[in-house]
Amino acid sequence: MEIKTERTDGVLVINAEGRIDGSNSAQFLESIQAVVSDDDNGVVLDFGGINYISSAGLRVILLLAKELRQKQTGFGVCSLSSSVKEIFTISGFDQIIAIFDSGADAVSSLK
Amino acid sequence: MVSEKRSRRSVKDDAEHGHTYPYKILVVDDEPDLQPLILQRMRRPIRSGKYTFVFAQNGIEALQRLNAEPDIDMVVSDINMPQMDGLTLLEQIPSVNPNIRSVIISAYGDMQNIRTAMNRGAFDFVTKPLDFKDLRHTIARTLRNLVEWREALASRDQLVVLQNELDVASKIQQSILPTEFPQHERYGIHASMEPARNVGGDFYDILMLERDHVGLAIADVSDKGVPASLFMMSSRTLLKGTAIGLPQPGMVLSDVNDLLTEENETAMFVTVFYAVYSPMTGELTYANGGHNPPLLIHADGSSEFVPRVGGIALGIVQGVPFSQGSITLQPGDTLLLYTDGVTEAMNAENEEFGVERLQAIFLEDPPASAQHTNEAVFAAVHSFAGGTPQSDDITCLTISRIPS
Repeated sequence: MEIKTERTDGVLVINAEGRIDGSNSAQFLESIQAVVSDDDNGVVLDFGGINYISSAGLRVILLLAKELRQKQTGFGVCSLSSSVKEIFTISGFDQIIAIFDSGADAVSSLK
Repeated sequence: MVSEKRSRRSVKDDAEHGHTYPYKILVVDDEPDLQPLILQRMRRPIRSGKYTFVFAQNGIEALQRLNAEPDIDMVVSDINMPQMDGLTLLEQIPSVNPNIRSVIISAYGDMQNIRTAMNRGAFDFVTKPLDFKDLRHTIARTLRNLVEWREALASRDQLVVLQNELDVASKIQQSILPTEFPQHERYGIHASMEPARNVGGDFYDILMLERDHVGLAIADVSDKGVPASLFMMSSRTLLKGTAIGLPQPGMVLSDVNDLLTEENETAMFVTVFYAVYSPMTGELTYANGGHNPPLLIHADGSSEFVPRVGGIALGIVQGVPFSQGSITLQPGDTLLLYTDGVTEAMNAENEEFGVERLQAIFLEDPPASAQHTNEAVFAAVHSFAGGTPQSDDITCLTISRIPS
Protein backbone atom coordinates (compact mmCIF):
# COMPACT_ATOMS: atom_id res chain seq x y z
CA MET A 1 0.00 0.00 0.00
CA GLU A 2 1.47 3.34 -1.02
CA ILE A 3 1.32 6.39 1.15
CA LYS A 4 2.06 10.01 0.34
CA THR A 5 3.29 12.38 2.97
CA GLU A 6 3.53 16.13 3.42
CA ARG A 7 4.68 18.24 6.36
CA THR A 8 2.86 21.46 7.15
CA ASP A 9 3.74 23.55 10.22
CA GLY A 10 5.47 20.56 11.83
CA VAL A 11 2.49 18.28 11.26
CA LEU A 12 2.99 15.16 9.17
CA VAL A 13 -0.04 14.51 6.97
CA ILE A 14 -0.21 10.98 5.56
CA ASN A 15 -2.41 10.20 2.58
CA ALA A 16 -3.44 6.67 1.72
CA GLU A 17 -5.83 5.22 -0.82
CA GLY A 18 -8.01 2.16 -1.15
CA ARG A 19 -8.75 -0.34 1.59
CA ILE A 20 -6.97 -1.02 4.85
CA ASP A 21 -7.60 -4.59 5.91
CA GLY A 22 -5.79 -7.68 7.20
CA SER A 23 -3.94 -8.09 3.91
CA ASN A 24 -2.10 -4.77 4.06
CA SER A 25 -2.48 -3.44 7.61
CA ALA A 26 0.97 -4.59 8.78
CA GLN A 27 2.59 -2.98 5.75
CA PHE A 28 0.54 0.17 6.28
CA LEU A 29 1.81 0.43 9.86
CA GLU A 30 5.41 -0.14 8.81
CA SER A 31 5.34 2.47 6.09
CA ILE A 32 3.89 5.01 8.52
CA GLN A 33 6.42 4.19 11.22
CA ALA A 34 9.15 4.68 8.64
CA VAL A 35 8.12 8.28 7.89
CA VAL A 36 7.20 9.54 11.35
CA SER A 37 10.01 11.60 12.82
CA ASP A 38 10.65 12.54 16.44
CA ASP A 39 10.50 16.18 15.38
CA ASP A 40 6.89 15.94 14.23
CA ASN A 41 4.49 17.88 16.45
CA GLY A 42 1.58 15.91 15.14
CA VAL A 43 0.63 13.11 12.78
CA VAL A 44 -2.58 13.03 10.75
CA LEU A 45 -3.92 10.19 8.65
CA ASP A 46 -5.85 11.71 5.78
CA PHE A 47 -8.45 9.07 4.88
CA GLY A 48 -10.00 11.04 2.01
CA GLY A 49 -8.99 8.22 -0.34
CA ILE A 50 -9.86 5.32 1.98
CA ASN A 51 -13.19 3.64 1.34
CA TYR A 52 -12.90 0.76 3.81
CA ILE A 53 -11.07 -0.07 6.99
CA SER A 54 -11.35 -3.43 8.74
CA SER A 55 -10.76 -4.19 12.40
CA ALA A 56 -7.15 -5.08 11.56
CA GLY A 57 -6.84 -1.56 10.15
CA LEU A 58 -8.40 -0.06 13.26
CA ARG A 59 -5.80 -1.92 15.29
CA VAL A 60 -3.05 -0.19 13.33
CA ILE A 61 -4.61 3.16 14.22
CA LEU A 62 -4.72 2.10 17.86
CA LEU A 63 -1.05 1.04 17.80
CA LEU A 64 -0.07 4.36 16.22
CA ALA A 65 -2.13 6.31 18.74
CA LYS A 66 -0.40 4.50 21.60
CA GLU A 67 3.09 5.00 20.15
CA LEU A 68 2.53 8.67 19.46
CA ARG A 69 1.00 9.28 22.87
CA GLN A 70 4.18 7.94 24.46
CA LYS A 71 6.19 10.41 22.40
CA GLN A 72 3.64 13.10 23.29
CA THR A 73 2.99 13.65 19.61
CA GLY A 74 -0.52 14.71 18.60
CA PHE A 75 -2.50 12.29 16.46
CA GLY A 76 -5.72 12.30 14.50
CA VAL A 77 -7.51 11.24 11.35
CA CYS A 78 -9.27 13.47 8.86
CA SER A 79 -11.53 13.56 5.79
CA LEU A 80 -13.35 10.32 6.60
CA SER A 81 -15.78 9.03 3.99
CA SER A 82 -19.25 8.32 5.33
CA SER A 83 -18.66 4.55 5.37
CA VAL A 84 -15.34 4.85 7.22
CA LYS A 85 -16.94 7.33 9.63
CA GLU A 86 -19.66 4.75 10.30
CA ILE A 87 -17.00 2.15 11.17
CA PHE A 88 -15.38 4.63 13.57
CA THR A 89 -18.76 5.36 15.16
CA ILE A 90 -19.86 1.74 15.56
CA SER A 91 -16.56 0.60 17.05
CA GLY A 92 -16.41 3.56 19.40
CA PHE A 93 -13.12 4.72 17.86
CA ASP A 94 -14.67 8.16 17.40
CA GLN A 95 -14.47 8.45 21.20
CA ILE A 96 -10.76 7.69 21.44
CA ILE A 97 -9.24 9.06 18.22
CA ALA A 98 -9.42 12.72 17.24
CA ILE A 99 -11.38 13.13 13.99
CA PHE A 100 -11.01 16.27 11.88
CA ASP A 101 -13.08 17.41 8.91
CA SER A 102 -10.06 18.28 6.77
CA GLY A 103 -6.29 18.17 6.71
CA ALA A 104 -6.18 21.94 7.28
CA ASP A 105 -8.33 21.60 10.41
CA ALA A 106 -6.07 18.85 11.70
CA VAL A 107 -2.89 20.83 11.04
CA SER A 108 -4.16 23.96 12.76
CA SER A 109 -5.21 21.91 15.76
CA LEU A 110 -2.08 19.77 16.10
CA LYS A 111 0.71 22.18 15.06
CA MET B 1 16.77 -35.42 7.57
CA VAL B 2 20.48 -34.89 7.75
CA SER B 3 20.55 -33.19 4.41
CA GLU B 4 17.60 -30.95 5.28
CA LYS B 5 19.21 -29.83 8.47
CA ARG B 6 22.36 -29.06 6.67
CA SER B 7 20.71 -27.26 3.84
CA ARG B 8 19.12 -24.87 6.30
CA ARG B 9 22.42 -24.18 7.99
CA SER B 10 23.99 -23.46 4.69
CA VAL B 11 21.30 -20.92 3.81
CA LYS B 12 21.90 -19.17 7.06
CA ASP B 13 25.62 -19.12 6.57
CA ASP B 14 25.35 -17.98 3.01
CA ALA B 15 22.78 -15.34 3.62
CA GLU B 16 24.13 -13.88 6.80
CA HIS B 17 27.82 -14.53 7.05
CA GLY B 18 29.08 -15.35 3.58
CA HIS B 19 30.80 -18.73 3.28
CA THR B 20 31.68 -19.85 6.75
CA TYR B 21 32.72 -23.26 5.42
CA PRO B 22 33.80 -24.49 2.00
CA TYR B 23 31.35 -25.91 -0.52
CA LYS B 24 32.09 -29.59 -0.97
CA ILE B 25 32.33 -30.74 -4.57
CA LEU B 26 32.52 -34.40 -5.60
CA VAL B 27 34.42 -35.02 -8.84
CA VAL B 28 33.70 -38.38 -10.51
CA ASP B 29 36.07 -39.55 -13.25
CA ASP B 30 37.97 -42.73 -13.99
CA GLU B 31 41.01 -40.89 -15.29
CA PRO B 32 43.59 -40.84 -12.48
CA ASP B 33 45.16 -37.66 -13.89
CA LEU B 34 42.16 -35.50 -13.21
CA GLN B 35 42.51 -35.42 -9.44
CA PRO B 36 45.93 -33.71 -9.23
CA LEU B 37 44.98 -31.47 -12.13
CA ILE B 38 41.88 -30.16 -10.39
CA LEU B 39 43.68 -29.72 -7.07
CA GLN B 40 46.34 -27.77 -8.89
CA ARG B 41 44.10 -25.60 -11.10
CA MET B 42 41.58 -24.93 -8.33
CA ARG B 43 44.18 -24.29 -5.64
CA ARG B 44 43.13 -20.68 -5.11
CA PRO B 45 39.50 -21.28 -4.13
CA ILE B 46 40.66 -24.33 -2.18
CA ARG B 47 43.25 -22.36 -0.23
CA SER B 48 40.84 -19.50 0.48
CA GLY B 49 38.41 -22.00 1.96
CA LYS B 50 35.77 -21.53 -0.73
CA TYR B 51 35.74 -25.04 -2.12
CA THR B 52 36.88 -28.44 -1.04
CA PHE B 53 37.09 -31.35 -3.50
CA VAL B 54 36.55 -35.07 -2.99
CA PHE B 55 36.95 -37.71 -5.69
CA ALA B 56 35.42 -40.97 -6.94
CA GLN B 57 36.45 -43.27 -9.80
CA ASN B 58 32.98 -44.29 -10.97
CA GLY B 59 29.25 -44.01 -10.28
CA ILE B 60 29.12 -46.67 -7.58
CA GLU B 61 31.96 -45.14 -5.62
CA ALA B 62 30.31 -41.73 -6.07
CA LEU B 63 27.02 -42.96 -4.57
CA GLN B 64 28.91 -44.46 -1.62
CA ARG B 65 30.57 -41.11 -0.95
CA LEU B 66 27.27 -39.23 -1.29
CA ASN B 67 25.73 -41.59 1.24
CA ALA B 68 28.60 -41.26 3.67
CA GLU B 69 29.01 -37.50 3.26
CA PRO B 70 25.65 -35.72 3.21
CA ASP B 71 27.41 -32.35 3.23
CA ILE B 72 28.41 -32.70 -0.44
CA ASP B 73 26.86 -29.77 -2.29
CA MET B 74 27.67 -30.53 -5.91
CA VAL B 75 28.76 -33.31 -8.27
CA VAL B 76 30.93 -32.92 -11.36
CA SER B 77 30.88 -36.19 -13.28
CA ASP B 78 32.31 -37.74 -16.42
CA ILE B 79 29.91 -39.77 -18.57
CA ASN B 80 31.91 -42.83 -19.63
CA MET B 81 33.14 -44.79 -16.65
CA PRO B 82 33.39 -48.47 -15.71
CA GLN B 83 30.88 -50.13 -13.34
CA MET B 84 28.41 -47.24 -13.31
CA ASP B 85 28.46 -44.46 -15.90
CA GLY B 86 27.66 -40.80 -15.32
CA LEU B 87 24.15 -40.93 -16.81
CA THR B 88 23.14 -43.77 -14.48
CA LEU B 89 24.67 -41.88 -11.56
CA LEU B 90 22.53 -38.84 -12.43
CA GLU B 91 19.41 -40.97 -12.11
CA GLN B 92 20.46 -42.23 -8.68
CA ILE B 93 21.57 -38.97 -7.08
CA PRO B 94 18.09 -37.58 -6.15
CA SER B 95 17.31 -40.65 -4.05
CA VAL B 96 20.48 -40.10 -2.02
CA ASN B 97 20.30 -36.31 -1.77
CA PRO B 98 17.61 -34.42 -3.70
CA ASN B 99 19.20 -31.01 -3.16
CA ILE B 100 22.44 -31.68 -4.95
CA ARG B 101 23.39 -29.94 -8.20
CA SER B 102 25.21 -31.93 -10.89
CA VAL B 103 27.40 -30.83 -13.77
CA ILE B 104 28.32 -33.35 -16.46
CA ILE B 105 31.61 -33.56 -18.35
CA SER B 106 31.04 -34.73 -21.92
CA ALA B 107 32.97 -35.05 -25.13
CA TYR B 108 32.79 -31.95 -27.28
CA GLY B 109 29.74 -32.05 -29.55
CA ASP B 110 28.22 -35.15 -27.95
CA MET B 111 24.76 -33.62 -28.04
CA GLN B 112 22.92 -36.86 -27.47
CA ASN B 113 24.58 -37.58 -24.13
CA ILE B 114 24.33 -33.95 -23.11
CA ARG B 115 20.58 -33.98 -23.86
CA THR B 116 20.15 -37.18 -21.87
CA ALA B 117 22.11 -35.74 -18.95
CA MET B 118 20.04 -32.55 -18.89
CA ASN B 119 16.84 -34.58 -19.05
CA ARG B 120 18.03 -36.58 -16.08
CA GLY B 121 18.45 -33.46 -14.01
CA ALA B 122 21.98 -32.25 -14.70
CA PHE B 123 22.19 -28.52 -14.02
CA ASP B 124 24.85 -27.79 -16.64
CA PHE B 125 27.69 -29.41 -18.62
CA VAL B 126 31.31 -28.74 -19.51
CA THR B 127 33.19 -30.29 -22.41
CA LYS B 128 36.47 -32.11 -22.79
CA PRO B 129 39.24 -31.20 -22.98
CA LEU B 130 38.51 -29.32 -19.75
CA ASP B 131 38.72 -25.56 -19.90
CA PHE B 132 39.36 -24.71 -16.26
CA LYS B 133 38.25 -21.13 -16.61
CA ASP B 134 34.91 -22.40 -17.88
CA LEU B 135 34.78 -25.03 -15.14
CA ARG B 136 35.36 -22.42 -12.43
CA HIS B 137 32.63 -20.27 -13.92
CA THR B 138 30.24 -23.22 -14.20
CA ILE B 139 30.86 -24.30 -10.61
CA ALA B 140 30.27 -20.76 -9.30
CA ARG B 141 27.04 -20.44 -11.28
CA THR B 142 25.80 -23.85 -10.14
CA LEU B 143 26.49 -23.11 -6.49
CA ARG B 144 24.74 -19.76 -6.78
CA ASN B 145 21.68 -21.57 -8.07
CA LEU B 146 21.95 -24.08 -5.24
CA VAL B 147 21.99 -21.31 -2.63
CA GLU B 148 18.91 -19.71 -4.18
CA TRP B 149 17.16 -23.03 -4.25
CA ARG B 150 17.93 -23.63 -0.57
CA GLU B 151 16.64 -20.19 0.31
CA ALA B 152 13.44 -20.96 -1.57
CA LEU B 153 13.12 -24.23 0.35
CA ALA B 154 13.60 -22.42 3.65
CA SER B 155 10.87 -19.88 2.79
CA ARG B 156 8.56 -22.70 1.84
CA ASP B 157 9.21 -24.35 5.21
CA GLN B 158 8.38 -21.10 6.95
CA LEU B 159 5.12 -20.90 5.01
CA VAL B 160 4.22 -24.40 6.12
CA VAL B 161 4.88 -23.45 9.74
CA LEU B 162 2.72 -20.38 9.32
CA GLN B 163 -0.07 -22.37 7.75
CA ASN B 164 0.06 -24.89 10.60
CA GLU B 165 -0.16 -22.04 13.06
CA LEU B 166 -3.25 -20.74 11.32
CA ASP B 167 -4.79 -24.21 11.34
CA VAL B 168 -4.27 -24.35 15.10
CA ALA B 169 -5.90 -20.95 15.45
CA SER B 170 -8.83 -22.10 13.38
CA LYS B 171 -9.30 -25.19 15.54
CA ILE B 172 -9.17 -23.15 18.74
CA GLN B 173 -11.79 -20.85 17.31
CA GLN B 174 -14.12 -23.62 16.18
CA SER B 175 -13.78 -25.68 19.35
CA ILE B 176 -15.13 -23.00 21.66
CA LEU B 177 -18.34 -22.32 19.76
CA PRO B 178 -21.51 -23.99 21.01
CA THR B 179 -23.19 -26.06 18.33
CA GLU B 180 -26.16 -27.24 20.35
CA PHE B 181 -28.85 -24.73 21.12
CA PRO B 182 -31.37 -24.53 23.95
CA GLN B 183 -34.82 -25.93 23.20
CA HIS B 184 -37.57 -23.79 24.68
CA GLU B 185 -41.30 -23.39 24.07
CA ARG B 186 -41.05 -19.60 24.12
CA TYR B 187 -38.01 -18.98 21.96
CA GLY B 188 -35.72 -20.52 19.37
CA ILE B 189 -31.98 -19.91 19.09
CA HIS B 190 -29.58 -20.74 16.29
CA ALA B 191 -26.02 -19.69 15.56
CA SER B 192 -23.49 -20.40 12.87
CA MET B 193 -20.04 -19.26 11.86
CA GLU B 194 -18.25 -19.64 8.55
CA PRO B 195 -14.55 -19.05 9.11
CA ALA B 196 -12.55 -17.22 6.48
CA ARG B 197 -9.61 -19.14 5.09
CA ASN B 198 -7.06 -17.53 7.35
CA VAL B 199 -9.11 -17.28 10.55
CA GLY B 200 -10.42 -14.09 11.91
CA GLY B 201 -11.61 -14.09 15.45
CA ASP B 202 -15.40 -14.16 15.53
CA PHE B 203 -17.16 -15.93 18.34
CA TYR B 204 -20.60 -16.21 19.85
CA ASP B 205 -21.95 -17.62 23.08
CA ILE B 206 -25.28 -18.60 24.56
CA LEU B 207 -25.45 -18.62 28.36
CA MET B 208 -28.21 -20.06 30.50
CA LEU B 209 -28.59 -17.60 33.38
CA GLU B 210 -30.69 -17.47 36.52
CA ARG B 211 -34.49 -17.16 36.35
CA ASP B 212 -34.61 -18.74 32.90
CA HIS B 213 -32.85 -15.73 31.38
CA VAL B 214 -30.57 -16.25 28.40
CA GLY B 215 -27.31 -14.42 27.76
CA LEU B 216 -26.45 -13.85 24.09
CA ALA B 217 -23.03 -12.68 22.97
CA ILE B 218 -21.50 -12.08 19.57
CA ALA B 219 -17.96 -10.80 19.14
CA ASP B 220 -15.24 -10.06 16.63
CA VAL B 221 -11.55 -9.92 17.58
CA SER B 222 -9.35 -7.60 15.56
CA ASP B 223 -6.57 -9.28 13.64
CA LYS B 224 -5.94 -12.93 12.84
CA GLY B 225 -3.78 -15.89 13.71
CA VAL B 226 -2.78 -17.57 16.94
CA PRO B 227 -2.39 -14.42 19.10
CA ALA B 228 -5.88 -13.29 18.06
CA SER B 229 -7.26 -16.75 18.83
CA LEU B 230 -5.76 -16.65 22.31
CA PHE B 231 -7.18 -13.17 22.84
CA MET B 232 -10.55 -14.52 21.71
CA MET B 233 -10.27 -17.42 24.15
CA SER B 234 -9.64 -15.12 27.08
CA SER B 235 -12.39 -12.70 25.94
CA ARG B 236 -14.86 -15.51 25.78
CA THR B 237 -13.84 -16.99 29.14
CA LEU B 238 -13.94 -13.61 30.87
CA LEU B 239 -17.31 -12.82 29.33
CA LYS B 240 -18.79 -16.12 30.39
CA GLY B 241 -17.39 -15.90 33.92
CA THR B 242 -18.57 -12.33 34.39
CA ALA B 243 -21.99 -12.79 32.80
CA ILE B 244 -22.94 -15.66 35.08
CA GLY B 245 -22.47 -13.47 38.16
CA LEU B 246 -23.90 -10.19 36.84
CA PRO B 247 -27.40 -9.57 35.48
CA GLN B 248 -26.60 -6.19 33.88
CA PRO B 249 -25.05 -6.34 30.39
CA GLY B 250 -23.46 -2.90 30.83
CA MET B 251 -21.65 -4.02 33.97
CA VAL B 252 -20.59 -7.27 32.30
CA LEU B 253 -18.94 -5.45 29.40
CA SER B 254 -17.39 -2.92 31.74
CA ASP B 255 -15.79 -5.66 33.86
CA VAL B 256 -14.61 -7.67 30.86
CA ASN B 257 -13.19 -4.52 29.30
CA ASP B 258 -11.18 -3.66 32.40
CA LEU B 259 -9.78 -7.19 32.63
CA LEU B 260 -8.88 -7.30 28.94
CA THR B 261 -7.28 -3.87 28.95
CA GLU B 262 -4.89 -4.76 31.76
CA GLU B 263 -1.52 -5.52 30.24
CA ASN B 264 -2.84 -5.53 26.70
CA GLU B 265 0.37 -4.57 24.93
CA THR B 266 -0.71 -6.01 21.62
CA ALA B 267 -3.38 -3.36 20.95
CA MET B 268 -5.78 -6.14 20.06
CA PHE B 269 -9.38 -5.45 20.79
CA VAL B 270 -12.73 -7.17 20.52
CA THR B 271 -16.12 -5.79 19.60
CA VAL B 272 -18.90 -7.41 21.63
CA PHE B 273 -22.66 -7.13 21.65
CA TYR B 274 -24.03 -8.72 24.81
CA ALA B 275 -27.72 -9.04 25.71
CA VAL B 276 -29.83 -10.71 28.35
CA TYR B 277 -33.19 -12.01 27.16
CA SER B 278 -36.17 -12.65 29.38
CA PRO B 279 -38.40 -15.32 27.80
CA MET B 280 -41.39 -14.43 29.97
CA THR B 281 -41.67 -10.84 28.78
CA GLY B 282 -39.66 -10.83 25.58
CA GLU B 283 -37.54 -8.02 27.02
CA LEU B 284 -33.97 -7.84 25.85
CA THR B 285 -31.48 -5.69 27.76
CA TYR B 286 -28.20 -5.04 25.99
CA ALA B 287 -24.92 -3.22 25.93
CA ASN B 288 -22.63 -2.74 22.99
CA GLY B 289 -18.83 -2.68 22.94
CA GLY B 290 -18.26 -1.28 19.47
CA HIS B 291 -20.13 -4.01 17.59
CA ASN B 292 -22.54 -3.74 14.66
CA PRO B 293 -26.05 -3.09 15.99
CA PRO B 294 -28.25 -6.22 15.61
CA LEU B 295 -31.30 -6.26 13.39
CA LEU B 296 -34.78 -6.64 14.86
CA ILE B 297 -36.98 -8.35 12.26
CA HIS B 298 -40.74 -8.46 12.55
CA ALA B 299 -43.02 -11.27 11.47
CA ASP B 300 -43.90 -9.41 8.23
CA GLY B 301 -40.25 -9.09 7.26
CA SER B 302 -39.90 -5.40 8.06
CA SER B 303 -36.91 -4.63 10.26
CA GLU B 304 -34.97 -2.00 12.12
CA PHE B 305 -31.60 -1.84 13.78
CA VAL B 306 -31.42 -1.96 17.55
CA PRO B 307 -30.94 1.60 18.87
CA ARG B 308 -27.34 2.54 19.48
CA VAL B 309 -26.14 3.00 23.02
CA GLY B 310 -22.53 4.02 22.39
CA GLY B 311 -19.72 1.95 23.81
CA ILE B 312 -16.12 1.39 22.72
CA ALA B 313 -14.63 -1.90 21.58
CA LEU B 314 -13.22 -3.87 24.53
CA GLY B 315 -9.54 -3.99 25.43
CA ILE B 316 -8.68 -0.39 24.55
CA VAL B 317 -9.52 2.03 27.36
CA GLN B 318 -9.88 1.04 30.98
CA GLY B 319 -12.69 2.32 33.18
CA VAL B 320 -15.13 3.39 30.49
CA PRO B 321 -18.86 2.88 31.17
CA PHE B 322 -21.15 0.91 28.87
CA SER B 323 -24.69 2.24 28.59
CA GLN B 324 -27.57 -0.18 28.37
CA GLY B 325 -30.55 -0.22 26.08
CA SER B 326 -33.67 -2.31 26.08
CA ILE B 327 -36.13 -3.54 23.48
CA THR B 328 -39.01 -5.98 23.60
CA LEU B 329 -39.39 -8.81 21.14
CA GLN B 330 -43.06 -9.19 20.27
CA PRO B 331 -44.30 -12.71 19.55
CA GLY B 332 -43.04 -13.54 16.05
CA ASP B 333 -40.13 -11.07 16.26
CA THR B 334 -36.61 -12.24 15.49
CA LEU B 335 -33.34 -10.64 16.55
CA LEU B 336 -30.33 -11.19 14.30
CA LEU B 337 -26.88 -10.63 15.82
CA TYR B 338 -24.15 -10.68 13.19
CA THR B 339 -20.53 -9.73 12.57
CA ASP B 340 -19.17 -7.40 9.91
CA GLY B 341 -18.25 -10.43 7.79
CA VAL B 342 -21.91 -10.29 6.70
CA THR B 343 -22.27 -6.62 5.82
CA GLU B 344 -18.72 -6.23 4.53
CA ALA B 345 -18.75 -9.29 2.27
CA MET B 346 -17.56 -8.17 -1.17
CA ASN B 347 -18.57 -9.17 -4.68
CA ALA B 348 -16.50 -9.19 -7.85
CA GLU B 349 -17.38 -5.52 -8.49
CA ASN B 350 -15.87 -4.58 -5.10
CA GLU B 351 -19.24 -3.69 -3.68
CA GLU B 352 -20.13 -4.41 -0.08
CA PHE B 353 -23.13 -6.51 0.85
CA GLY B 354 -24.21 -3.72 3.19
CA VAL B 355 -27.12 -3.23 5.58
CA GLU B 356 -29.73 -2.48 2.92
CA ARG B 357 -29.28 -5.87 1.28
CA LEU B 358 -29.41 -7.48 4.72
CA GLN B 359 -32.78 -5.88 5.45
CA ALA B 360 -34.04 -6.69 1.95
CA ILE B 361 -33.61 -10.44 2.55
CA PHE B 362 -36.49 -10.53 5.01
CA LEU B 363 -38.91 -8.43 2.96
CA GLU B 364 -38.75 -11.28 0.42
CA ASP B 365 -38.50 -14.07 2.92
CA PRO B 366 -39.77 -13.24 6.45
CA PRO B 367 -38.12 -15.24 9.27
CA ALA B 368 -39.79 -18.60 9.85
CA SER B 369 -37.40 -19.65 12.61
CA ALA B 370 -34.01 -18.71 14.03
CA GLN B 371 -32.30 -21.32 11.89
CA HIS B 372 -34.20 -20.28 8.78
CA THR B 373 -33.14 -16.67 9.37
CA ASN B 374 -29.45 -17.58 9.56
CA GLU B 375 -29.67 -19.81 6.51
CA ALA B 376 -31.31 -17.01 4.54
CA VAL B 377 -28.47 -14.63 5.49
CA PHE B 378 -25.73 -17.08 4.50
CA ALA B 379 -27.50 -17.90 1.22
CA ALA B 380 -27.88 -14.21 0.35
CA VAL B 381 -24.25 -13.41 1.19
CA HIS B 382 -22.98 -16.37 -0.85
CA SER B 383 -25.08 -15.50 -3.86
CA PHE B 384 -23.97 -11.85 -3.63
CA ALA B 385 -20.25 -12.68 -3.27
CA GLY B 386 -20.30 -15.22 -6.12
CA GLY B 387 -16.76 -16.55 -6.42
CA THR B 388 -15.13 -13.68 -4.53
CA PRO B 389 -13.06 -15.18 -1.69
CA GLN B 390 -14.34 -14.58 1.81
CA SER B 391 -11.98 -12.23 3.63
CA ASP B 392 -13.55 -12.31 7.08
CA ASP B 393 -15.45 -14.74 9.29
CA ILE B 394 -19.20 -14.62 8.80
CA THR B 395 -21.19 -15.20 11.97
CA CYS B 396 -24.90 -15.04 12.82
CA LEU B 397 -26.61 -15.61 16.18
CA THR B 398 -30.38 -15.40 16.07
CA ILE B 399 -33.14 -15.59 18.66
CA SER B 400 -36.81 -15.64 17.78
CA ARG B 401 -39.76 -15.24 20.10
CA ILE B 402 -42.18 -18.03 19.35
CA PRO B 403 -45.85 -16.89 19.23
CA SER B 404 -47.81 -18.66 21.96
